Amino acid sequence: MERAGTVILGLGNPILTDDAVGVRLAGEARCRFGARPDVEIHEECPVGGLELLAFLDGYRRAIVIDAIHTEGGRTGDCYRFTATALRGTVNLNNVHDANFATALALGRRLGQRLPEDDEIHVFAVEVADDLTFGTELSAELAPCYPLCREQVLAGIEELLAEAPAEAP
Amino acid sequence: MSRTIQIDPITRLEGHGKITIFLDDQGAVEDCYFQIPELRGFERFVEGRPIEELPRIVTRICGVCPASHHMASAKAVDACFGGQVAPLAHKLRDMYYHAHYIHSHIAHFYALAAPDFVCGPGCDPAQRNILGVVAKVGLEIGGQVIASRSKAQRIQAILGGRTTHLVWCLPGGVSKGLTTDELAEIRPLVGELYDFTQFSLQLFRDVILGNPEYVELILNGPYTLDVHNMGLVDQNNAVNFYDGQVRVVDFEGREICRYSPAEYATHIAEHVEPWTYLKFPYLRQRGWQGFREGLDTSLYTATPLSRLNVADRMATPQAQAAREEMFSTLGGRPCRALLAAHWARLVEMVQNAEMLKRYCDDPEITGPEYRLIPDRITGEGVGIVEAMRGTLTHHYTCDQNGICTGANLIVGTTNNNAAIHMVTKKVASTMIRPGVEPDNGVLNLIEMAFRSFDPCFSCATHSLPGRMPLIVTLMQGGEVVRTFRRDPS
Repeated sequence: MERAGTVILGLGNPILTDDAVGVRLAGEARCRFGARPDVEIHEECPVGGLELLAFLDGYRRAIVIDAIHTEGGRTGDCYRFTATALRGTVNLNNVHDANFATALALGRRLGQRLPEDDEIHVFAVEVADDLTFGTELSAELAPCYPLCREQVLAGIEELLAEAPAEAP
Repeated sequence: MSRTIQIDPITRLEGHGKITIFLDDQGAVEDCYFQIPELRGFERFVEGRPIEELPRIVTRICGVCPASHHMASAKAVDACFGGQVAPLAHKLRDMYYHAHYIHSHIAHFYALAAPDFVCGPGCDPAQRNILGVVAKVGLEIGGQVIASRSKAQRIQAILGGRTTHLVWCLPGGVSKGLTTDELAEIRPLVGELYDFTQFSLQLFRDVILGNPEYVELILNGPYTLDVHNMGLVDQNNAVNFYDGQVRVVDFEGREICRYSPAEYATHIAEHVEPWTYLKFPYLRQRGWQGFREGLDTSLYTATPLSRLNVADRMATPQAQAAREEMFSTLGGRPCRALLAAHWARLVEMVQNAEMLKRYCDDPEITGPEYRLIPDRITGEGVGIVEAMRGTLTHHYTCDQNGICTGANLIVGTTNNNAAIHMVTKKVASTMIRPGVEPDNGVLNLIEMAFRSFDPCFSCATHSLPGRMPLIVTLMQGGEVVRTFRRDPS
């Protein structure tokens, strides 16, 4: 199935404090890039693991936005990496069935048309509290959010300036 | 000198679950703690909101069991509004839930349970995953797993409008019915899913029952506990996932108690330990007696195997035949072999598929009367369903305006918390031998103990279930002498 060139996925839970940051940023991306015909955006992607394959199938490029915890990380720090050097973000680390890398490998073996690893781009924001129910960001992350937004949206804009690589 | 072994998932640097094993001076297991975090503030979050919003909110507690929470919540809200529900709505909800069960059980069996047996417990962790299963049994099966899950998802989407964040159940019924065109789309999917359940049973026979070592591990390994069993049954004591009464049966088959949802607090209490956030439910009338096995214990399990243990029969013929084969092979009912939960899941999937077939042939299923508008508020409601991972209870109170004033949840995995804690210690004590450094194979055998419960702490966090990422730290004299690391696969 051939679809729009790029899919943007916001991962996270909108009522779990900082876990919502990926969902919020995907919403911001919709405001900025939602009118483009070559971009499809799922602001709140509710699945992980094997089910994530259905959200990637047919796209040449994927942009995933999620929360992350890193050792010694500062709340609000933004990280950017691709699936060639995948790191464990909060929601990509689905451990109920298969992690992201395993799901991608299985999907490719089954012949699904998934983006290449270097066309799967992850933007991850260091968060402080993703265990408390609430619709607001934590007091630690909230003041950092405007800068996070600009960094992530600038990164997405940079990616979208070039067409994704042709599928092999 | 005593040492500490810590099995520690790394997806979260705070608030994560872990297993800590303490060794004595000789290197034998002295004690073992299974600790997990919890999400905070759910009760406060829902207080002050219209009670009918809760079924839509609770689907975001857990991305793994969203339909279970939606159904339990809907039933609790039904009760808050007087309990009148359109009979057709119960059928449609039940139909949806059977499809959800198949979707979830396929994931657990093929991605989490099967790798331990198809690839082997001692297999390199990097290979012990669904890719390893596909490598052993063929790529075609991988395709069937993905396709069958998609079919179950499609049935849910047709019935409820969406799969994960349901907004379908309303007080007194559901928001949409089933058209004849939609039923026509569902019918062939159901037939294919039924075939897949039979295929899965045969795979279990071939791969697991065909290997005497695995049968020995299931029946006579350390993966057994003398605790009681809990599960929902219908009026004929048949397995039911959506409705009925909770039945508790001891490990020799005697009924201990049986209760309707509204009576749950009379029968179940929750114990708190200072070393973990997650509570330990127990049978209230027996009192908390600690983590011990025996006929007089107050502890129980609530798993697929528990459900089959408490019920006298399955609700459908082919599932009943599969159940008889299972108990006959395992030496009768009740079965104490916790690893048999993997087999029980497959038996349950047969009932799920047969029930879907039954609903497809029900002349009332496309009827128009799928909701009764409530006309009163009673102020309190309890809803219980069988989540895939155990009995799930939602208890709400509301004021005369239908505004939520309180909520209490006992989630499926919480019921099994004590049993997971106990069997993990039991297996660790058996597998870790003095003077022998535990390797990844040993760690996986310990993981298999709690993996049989299909634990899901998404209700508490995203982190721990299934093939969890691990760090094992060996401590000696306060110093780290060795660290194992395993990422989720």
